[in-house]
Amino acid sequence: MTLDTRSGRLRMSVLGAVAFALFASLFARVWFLQVINEQDFVTQAEGNRERTLVELAPRGRILDINDKVLVDNRASIQVTIDKETIITEVNKDERPALFLDLAKEISSTGRLTKVSEIEDAFASDQYGPFAEVPVVGDVTEELQLYLAENSQRFPGVHTRVVTVREYPYGSAAAHLLGYVGALNEDEFEATANKPKNYQINDEIGKSGVELFYEDHLRGTPGTSVIEVDKFANVLDVLEYTPPVAGSDIRLTIDIDLQIMAEQELEAALLAARLEPPETDDDGNLIPFNAPGGAVVLLDPQVGAVRAMASYPTYDPSTFVGGISSEAFLELSDEDGDLPLLNRAIQGEYAPGSTFKPFTAYAALDTGLLGPRGVLDVRAPYNDTGVYFIPTCPDDPSCRFQNAGQKPYGAVDLRRALTVSSDTYFYNLAANFDRLQFDRDSVQQAAKLFGFGAPTGLTLPNENAGYIPTPQGRQARHEANPEAFPFPDWRTGDTIVTSIGQGDVLATPMQMATAYAALANGGDIYAPNLASAVLSPLTGEPSLEFKARRQRSIYYPPEFSDPISDGLLGVTQDENGAVDGGTAWKAFNDINFPHASWLSAGKTGTSEKDGKADFALYVGYGPLPEAEYVGVAVLEEAGFGGNVAAPVIAKLFKAIATDSVEPALTQAERDEQDRIAFEAAQAGLSVEEFVALENPAPSGDRADADGEDAATDASSEAGEG
Amino acid sequence: MATPTAQRNLNPRNDPLAAWLHIDFLLVLATLALSAIGVAMIYSTTRGIDPAAYDTTFMQRQLIFVMLGAALMAAMAVVPYDRLQSWAPLFYIAGLLSLVGVLVLGVEGGLGGQSWFAIGGYQLQPSEFLKVVYVVVLSSMVARHDGQMNWQQLVLALITGAIPMVLILVQPDVGTMLVFVAITMGVLLVGGARFSHIVLLTLLGILAAMFLWNVGALSDYQQDRLTSFFDPDSSQSEAAYQQTQAQIAIGSGGVSGQGFGQGGQTRGEFVPAQHTDFIFTVVGEELGFVGSATVLGLFALLIWRAWRTAKKAADLFGALLCVGVMTMMVFQMFQAVGMTLGIMPITGIPVPFMSYGGSSALTSFAAVGLVLNVHMRRYQVR
Repeated sequence: MTLDTRSGRLRMSVLGAVAFALFASLFARVWFLQVINEQDFVTQAEGNRERTLVELAPRGRILDINDKVLVDNRASIQVTIDKETIITEVNKDERPALFLDLAKEISSTGRLTKVSEIEDAFASDQYGPFAEVPVVGDVTEELQLYLAENSQRFPGVHTRVVTVREYPYGSAAAHLLGYVGALNEDEFEATANKPKNYQINDEIGKSGVELFYEDHLRGTPGTSVIEVDKFANVLDVLEYTPPVAGSDIRLTIDIDLQIMAEQELEAALLAARLEPPETDDDGNLIPFNAPGGAVVLLDPQVGAVRAMASYPTYDPSTFVGGISSEAFLELSDEDGDLPLLNRAIQGEYAPGSTFKPFTAYAALDTGLLGPRGVLDVRAPYNDTGVYFIPTCPDDPSCRFQNAGQKPYGAVDLRRALTVSSDTYFYNLAANFDRLQFDRDSVQQAAKLFGFGAPTGLTLPNENAGYIPTPQGRQARHEANPEAFPFPDWRTGDTIVTSIGQGDVLATPMQMATAYAALANGGDIYAPNLASAVLSPLTGEPSLEFKARRQRSIYYPPEFSDPISDGLLGVTQDENGAVDGGTAWKAFNDINFPHASWLSAGKTGTSEKDGKADFALYVGYGPLPEAEYVGVAVLEEAGFGGNVAAPVIAKLFKAIATDSVEPALTQAERDEQDRIAFEAAQAGLSVEEFVALENPAPSGDRADADGEDAATDASSEAGEG
Repeated sequence: MATPTAQRNLNPRNDPLAAWLHIDFLLVLATLALSAIGVAMIYSTTRGIDPAAYDTTFMQRQLIFVMLGAALMAAMAVVPYDRLQSWAPLFYIAGLLSLVGVLVLGVEGGLGGQSWFAIGGYQLQPSEFLKVVYVVVLSSMVARHDGQMNWQQLVLALITGAIPMVLILVQPDVGTMLVFVAITMGVLLVGGARFSHIVLLTLLGILAAMFLWNVGALSDYQQDRLTSFFDPDSSQSEAAYQQTQAQIAIGSGGVSGQGFGQGGQTRGEFVPAQHTDFIFTVVGEELGFVGSATVLGLFALLIWRAWRTAKKAADLFGALLCVGVMTMMVFQMFQAVGMTLGIMPITGIPVPFMSYGGSSALTSFAAVGLVLNVHMRRYQVR
């Protein structure tokens, strides 16, 4: 029989229909995948096999004004783990053993590493599945070799060479240079629109110049789009853009001067700590803690910062390769000395008597003082050491006095500045109110000179200081009546403001820019810290930063003459039997070459409840066209004339006599320290020791003797 | 159909009914075309990525398999198919023994459990060959009853099928087992099982499947293949990955394909088992919809010819041979291509003529040889 029967044909038709239906569904599905959804799958396929690799570009260097390298790059070996490999090749319960083993190996090379660091790196969700997650940096070449040779024992553990920051001058200029760190999530979001393609954990400037000039310093990462197979083997390179190194930044800083400023500041603070404690009016002992301070040297003609020291400081290299959170907490502990704080722009201090020239300016500018004013600049005021507000002479709160009630006798404006008479300025302040000048005349002048607002220095996180005003007091009270119980502004407030006390706060940089205006005839500059951006290829400037004059203050000779004269007297007028310049002694003690390098200045001693006096000095020279303004602020360190003025005097003297020591790099300093230490151990002078170490090339015999001697010396030291 | 026998000319050269005058060239052409595309696709996926040192090993081997297969096809076509009827039990017994042997002596294969004999450098998969043997044996048993099987005969036929199925399921190779189920259903449907039998058998089959699922007869990876098929998003398994990657490969081929040797998924080896069970993904990615449709078209042609030959066969045995081959091809084709398209769960079944592998190639050619045989002799009445 065949199928050519009714039933057979029917059954074959059923079979054919089933086969047809199955084929139809295959066709339909193929059509759906390949014709309708082609684009979807093309995209998915690309995502599968195309990977974009980022090749980091070296960061630009930071140079001083003479192109000495302050921040450099060096190669560093980093241990990384490849999460994908570990997940696929190492069982969950075997991982702790692997991490422990790895931590032990790394630690045994001297780079102490905790298992938790490796676990954290592994658990971090900041990296893509194929990314190499950095575990520790700065490991030895031996470890790199060891890990490569034992790759079976450490699956997914690799090393790579990255460039990290290097600081040839150690901690010098740490605050202004800043540090770099790994880009965190918040910063990552902020970099979304930046051109240089950031990725999580990229190196990014966190403070200082590193942060401010991030866009110039950062290199443009190279990218390559590669085609990979399932096992991440590279099949082909589809696109390649080479990395471009970041630009160098040339600062206005002179590293020689910078290091000298830091050393003088530190020395002055350390010396201040040795002074016996003062006794205050209530009989409490107030120690000179001298915890910190700042020095600023600024070119007043263009507003360029030459040096900017802040004490205490920190070693930026601790941030290289990632700082531990404990170390960072210690550096930023509120109760500590805040070494990360850049006191030159973030420290806010009562300017004390250094503020007086601006009160004087207010009096001259309003017409309280001056040729056509109410009072003549030369009109003497009888300083008895005590001042009573005329409207309320019997109210004890209306009584103000000089430091130690010291009377200066008849003082005019010039002499009031020179000897730093407070009562002269109290009298001016009271008269603003009494004669119905603007109640905030002093504040207006202060703001004109840049107080109360950031100077605009090219560094991040600059503080504004504070200038109290009647309006500000009212607003503060309304916002927080408990903390600020007094809404009213009184004459007494103008009085304490006039000598830079009360609520007045200024940063050392603000003092520098304000005095720069006094020195240059009234021009306020936003200070520059960088002078140029240098092309990474040619080293030629690709961008130069011009002086940024903010405004010119009306400062005619009839204003400037008495003020300048008064400030000149501070350094010039002999302070002996007759009261003279408050900084005269500081300059006289070091035989300052006034003849060749005339400088003016103002001391300040500001009070803070329960603490020793803050010492301040602001000076400028050489007159008449000053090239330097110098500010020194030393916390809890004593009188400005005794403690702060010598710091600036020494710096000015070194500049005047061209004897600023060329800065030594950290390596050179370490070598000097080593020689000094070993010489001392061997009981030799440094010269003798150096002669032994580097024998003159006068023949073999001398050599041999020299070595013997050195060996003897060290063995003796060992016995001792 | 009218079958004039009286006028047979004894000189075969002049005999219009002579078998060799009725070779189905269209069918031969379809098988050779599919084999050729298969060889090309195998080359594309196995040659490696180094243009200086392309690996031709797999392609060469497959070429040999195809030539051997073509020879086997010819041999299967030449011997009048009624003689197969008497040899079939012998092959069947031998096949069952080899299945037992494979469980004892065999080696683990890629996707198909322990189903391979290693012979020299080659591996032999007895379950593949047994498919053809089973088509012959089952057709012969059913044809003997002239389309009128009673319960006993049906059960006997089912037992004949059940023995190899169980042996294959133990390997475990669910895919091949299901090919046997398809053959059984096709042959019984056409060959005389009553409609009630078919319904009952279908129900029994479903119950058996549920039973197997519930007692955990399926290994983890088999269960995973099914669950990931029904709920692909929830699964992070290898099976879900395979299926996703296969569809990405095919879909990204688009209309015209990425070009021979240019498939990114293929070059990157993102699709596992690509030269064997997933060979269709290479067609899809590199040759696009044009290529996929051509391959499906060639299979449709092949299956249509088998179906047509079944209808024109001179006797029921011949017809059932064609039906068996047709259902085998349809099922394998639908399963092996369907799983790459995401419309079937993953099972280890090769695409006939195209997947790399000697056993599969020889089996496919032998099966087509049977259809050719029936086609050639459709005018010869016994």
